[in-house]
This record gives sequence, structure tokens and C-alpha cells, in this order.
Amino acid sequence: MSVSAQPTPYPLLPLLGRGLAAGGIAGLASGLFSLLLAEPLMDRAIRLEEKRSAAEAATAHAGASHSGHSHAAEAEELFSRGTQHLGLVVTAVVAGLAIGVFFTLAYALSRGLRPGGSPNRSAPRDDGRDWQRSMGLAGAGFLALSLLPALRYPANPPGVGDGGTVTERQGLWLAALVIGVLGTVLAHQVHQRLGQAGHGLPVRQSGAAAAVVATLAALFLLPDNPDAVPVPATLLWDFRMLSLGGQVVLWGVLGAVFAAPSLRRQRSAPRERSASSTP
Amino acid sequence: MSPHTVGTTVAPESAAAHPATVRTRDWLIVAAAAIVALIALYAVFVDNGDLVSATGSYLHEFSHDGRHLFGAPCH
Repeated sequence: MSVSAQPTPYPLLPLLGRGLAAGGIAGLASGLFSLLLAEPLMDRAIRLEEKRSAAEAATAHAGASHSGHSHAAEAEELFSRGTQHLGLVVTAVVAGLAIGVFFTLAYALSRGLRPGGSPNRSAPRDDGRDWQRSMGLAGAGFLALSLLPALRYPANPPGVGDGGTVTERQGLWLAALVIGVLGTVLAHQVHQRLGQAGHGLPVRQSGAAAAVVATLAALFLLPDNPDAVPVPATLLWDFRMLSLGGQVVLWGVLGAVFAAPSLRRQRSAPRERSASSTP
Repeated sequence: MSPHTVGTTVAPESAAAHPATVRTRDWLIVAAAAIVALIALYAVFVDNGDLVSATGSYLHEFSHDGRHLFGAPCH
């Protein structure tokens, strides 16, 4: 492990540390947000489901008809609701940490660093645009992985979801995530290329918007979620809004915390916009 | 991590040619982290009892509420 020749290597590992820290904090914030606001709804949804399946069991003589509807009973056997509340926060933190890793990777790539060791242009430590880049990336992540997939397959509260179709639905959901990412990358590429071709912002943004609309159209070519949604409309709406809200918190905090150290650097150092002037 | 990667890392011969480069070792570590992250995401959002237990889907039930909230399919 010989320590650097004179051109200092780009500090990718500190960046990874930043990504993990930001992801963990964002996951925790999102998990606590959901714990406070969404869990009461989920508990209510589960009580409603229990009532529903009890009624079902009373009419149709318990058994054969509801193979996939043992949801609440099964959940209670393995873990208490209290444990599942804790599980929500742990899940959010794990997801945040994992997303932090990919955020770091995307951030490094967006700064022009390429696998193979050489940047495609000189990659400055700090060009004063870290905040914009980080928040822009967080917004893109929200669009690609949260908003676009949610428009096609909105989140459902407990009590919705047939165990028999879960594999099929997972396939559809993963496909929606992939399409969301591809569509967002496409929108960004269109925006960049139109700029390189000398077009102004109105044309570039219209092009990007068209790419997003095309992505939505592609998403709606996927088959519908096969499951029925026997949940009161207000509960469903509130749950879906809080689901999106939790994801806004996740991405927003991730972008902000990731960029925060560069803000401090910027304030303490004299403002230098020129690229890679510091050795 | 490092004993393994140090062995396989080629000296950064391009380092001198560019003002800023990334060590191959660093890329490998980030790639390894990405693989671990993918496995973690699979565990919390997709697994239905294949990873940890044959008798019950513990991961599924533990991450149950998180799955619903992040829009991941649940039973």
C-alpha cells in the first residue's frame, strides 16, 4: 500500500463514508417519520382486515376460500406488531444505507469518474456545485425509484396483497423500478444533448418532460396489479400519501446530508470556482 | 478486504497522466459495497423466506411494514 504519487487520487472512500452516513441518517429520519405518521394507519388497516377475514370465515365455513388471506394471523404468529414497528425503522435504515452506496456511485460517475481509474476530465475536489449536484441526484432518485413506480403500482396498506400473486407482483414492481431508472437517465440525456446542440432551457426541459411522459406510458404497458384493494378510500389515500412522504424525507435528507460537508468547506475556504486549482 | 485487493491491484500507471484519478482498490471496495447493498435490498424488500429460514419468512415479516410503505409487494 504505497501512499500516493504526487497527483492525489480522488478520495472515493471518504465519499463512500459520506454516502453511508447520509443514507443511514436519511433512513432513520424516514423510518421515524413513518413510525409516527403511518403506523397508526397500518395498525388500523390490520384491525380492519382481521374483522373482514373473521366475517369471511363466519359466512364461508373457514378454510379453502382464503388461502392468501391469513395475513394478519400469520404476521402475529411470527412477530408482534411492536416488533414490526421496530422492523419498519430497521428496514428504513438498511434501505437508506444501501441507497447511500448507490448514491455515492452515481455521484462519482456524475463527477466524471470512470471505473478503470481515470476520470474523463479532471475531477475537482470541490467546484462549488456539490449542493446542486447532490440535491439534483436525490431528486432524480426520487423520480426514478419512488414517484414513477408509485404512479404505476401505488403502495398498499396491510390487508391488501394475495400471497398467491406475490411473485408475479414482485416481478412487475422490479420491472417498474428498472423502467423508472432508465426513463430518468433518458430524460437527463435528452436534457444534456439538447443543451450541447445549442438549445435553450425551454427546449431542453420540454424534451426531458417528454421523456418522462414516454416513461410513464411504458410503465402503463405493464399489466395491472392483479389484487383487489378492499380498503376504505380515505385510509388508502392517506397511506399512499404518507408512503410517498416517507420517501421524500428519505431522498431529501440523503441529498442534503451528503452535500452538507461541502457547504462547510465552501464557507471556510475562500470561494474558488475554478476547477482543480488546489493541489 | 485490503489484503485481497492489494494483491490484485495493478499499480496506477495512469496516475501521473491525470490530475485526479481513483485508485483501482477504491473502485473495488465501492463495487463490493454495492454488491452487499444489493443483497441487503433483496433481503428487506424481496425475500420471502429463501434467505434465512425454511420454516417461516422471518425477514419478510420483520420488514413487513417497511415493505408496505416503500411500495414493495407484500402478501
